Amino acid sequence: MKIKRNLPGMRKIFYFAMALALMIGLMLVVNFAFFLLIAFKCYEMSRFTKVGEVLEKLSVTDTGYELEESMQAELAGKNQWAMLLDENGNEVWSYRKPEEIKESYSRSEIARMSKWYLEDYPVYLRVWDERILVLGIPKHSMWKYNMEFPLAWIDFMSSVWFWIVLSDFLLVLTLAFFFVKRQMKNREQARIEWIAGISHDIRTPLSMVIGYSDALCGSGNLTEEERRQMALIRHQSMVMKELVEDLNLTSRLEYSMQALRVEKMRPAAVLREAAAAFLSDAAEGKLEIEAEISEQAEELWIEADRKLLVRALRNLFNNSIQHGEQGEVTVISLHMWKEKRWCCISFSDNGVGYSQEVLNQLQSRKKEKAEPKIRGLGIVRKIVLAHDGKIRFENNREGGCFCTMKFHISSF
Amino acid sequence: MAGIYEYKIMLVDDEPELRRMLAAFLAKEGFKYVVTAGSCREAKEVYRKEAPGLILLDVMLPDGDGFGLLRELHQESEVPVIFLSARDEDEDRLHGLGIGADDYITKPFLPKELILRMTAVLKRVYHVRGGDKGNEVLLLGDCKVDFGSGVVQKGQAETGVTLTAKEYAILEKLASNRGRIVTIDALCEAVWQEGNYGYENTLIVHIRRLREKIEADPSHPQYLLTVRGLGYKLV
Repeated sequence: MKIKRNLPGMRKIFYFAMALALMIGLMLVVNFAFFLLIAFKCYEMSRFTKVGEVLEKLSVTDTGYELEESMQAELAGKNQWAMLLDENGNEVWSYRKPEEIKESYSRSEIARMSKWYLEDYPVYLRVWDERILVLGIPKHSMWKYNMEFPLAWIDFMSSVWFWIVLSDFLLVLTLAFFFVKRQMKNREQARIEWIAGISHDIRTPLSMVIGYSDALCGSGNLTEEERRQMALIRHQSMVMKELVEDLNLTSRLEYSMQALRVEKMRPAAVLREAAAAFLSDAAEGKLEIEAEISEQAEELWIEADRKLLVRALRNLFNNSIQHGEQGEVTVISLHMWKEKRWCCISFSDNGVGYSQEVLNQLQSRKKEKAEPKIRGLGIVRKIVLAHDGKIRFENNREGGCFCTMKFHISSF
Repeated sequence: MAGIYEYKIMLVDDEPELRRMLAAFLAKEGFKYVVTAGSCREAKEVYRKEAPGLILLDVMLPDGDGFGLLRELHQESEVPVIFLSARDEDEDRLHGLGIGADDYITKPFLPKELILRMTAVLKRVYHVRGGDKGNEVLLLGDCKVDFGSGVVQKGQAETGVTLTAKEYAILEKLASNRGRIVTIDALCEAVWQEGNYGYENTLIVHIRRLREKIEADPSHPQYLLTVRGLGYKLV
């Protein structure tokens, strides 16, 4: 006997993880955009006049140099200053120059300030013929930093950036996947245990209802009406028993936590056994079962969970009994045959057939919805699908329902 | 050889009403000695005092679980145990059977089912044949089948006919499930041990011979009925 465990709701987990990853991605994009926007805004707000602009307004006169008045006003307004050095590093002109700024500079001092600061003032230099125009902005208003990148690195980055982004995305997706998976598993486990607890607590009291009603049904001291009522209690308590079992089974199959106890078996024998047990328990003369198993099908073996397979057949029988015409004999036909690599079982009855609503629900792909009307049949479908089988519900043309199940034939 | 009803049954469950119900039911079914306990501690006391022949044991008890109790009791003797559990998970069932229980019945159950399975365990463990209060004779109308000797006495005939071993096995299987359908597969297994297919035609031959021995009119059987496509039923 081996145990087969289905992956817990992979598709559901994948969607969650995907959503989470997208959310994180979107968050990053939004943050980055916001950051850029703010940076841009700040830059705009504190935009200083550039050294090139100043140079355009600076002209040589007979007496020296002259800055246009409009530019003077602009620099004053922004608290900027300017000075012009000749080829020897001596100041030849200045405007609003702070006191601590010297008037003469060596080559090394010029080299240093061109990259960084002059007396903590961020400065910008522009060469004008042999002269150098130095434009200063207020202290602590600008952070200067020289960036350097090897070209090889830039080439490399431009060819791999896509893969880096992709691997980031995959990393986020994987992390999200495991996170969500664990969360969902915990939640589902809690739900399964809750349902198992309820069904456990119902079982003992139900034992007594079934036991006493069964005993009273056989008692000779009851009137006809009382006996009828007792039989009803007994029957309904048996229905409750089935409901409790179904509830537990549904929750396990729903969350794919049911470990299938797979063993090799002859489906023909299982089919006969289930039918015989059901027929033996059914009320006298209310049910007929016709079983037709092809000779080829007799020899087939499948790998399945015996208990679940019997359960599936029982649910089909129960459904037919419950929905049979009042007072009519329910006739159930079972067929089994071999079709390529499949062992096929068909089930049909002479009742009213499945309603359109039930058929729609049985064929719908949405599994998570509560489907009270197809509870029993939904379990049949889940059981067959858990075995990697196929199932189809339809109606006979001449009335009655028709269900086909297919299971993989196991090879020796 | 004592009949199965002579064996003392110990019932361990923490629900007093369930104990009362089952005790009454067992008594009605003919079990003469039924003792009960509501906890592990009480169960051990009762077990030492009464030395029951079969224990019906709930898995969840107020002062421990049935699995542990079974292990303890089995250290003293190999008493047969049937678990009565409100848990239907496969793991529990397999665990119970794995540590040496003879059967595992899930609540809620029909009392009749419990009796059938108890009877089966008692018969298997103590090699008692025929649960019918020591009476090992099957009556089918005016035909009498004595399982002790394997002889069928039909009507007023002086001498009976003897059943072959295979006919005996078939009839015994059908008789122990009287009123219920026994599938071809189950009958084959009872006769040929392995659940091999391919014996169906041979089975039909044996059934025909069996009908000749027990039915007044073998072509219109009254007792050994065919359920087409499924199996046979003894009514």
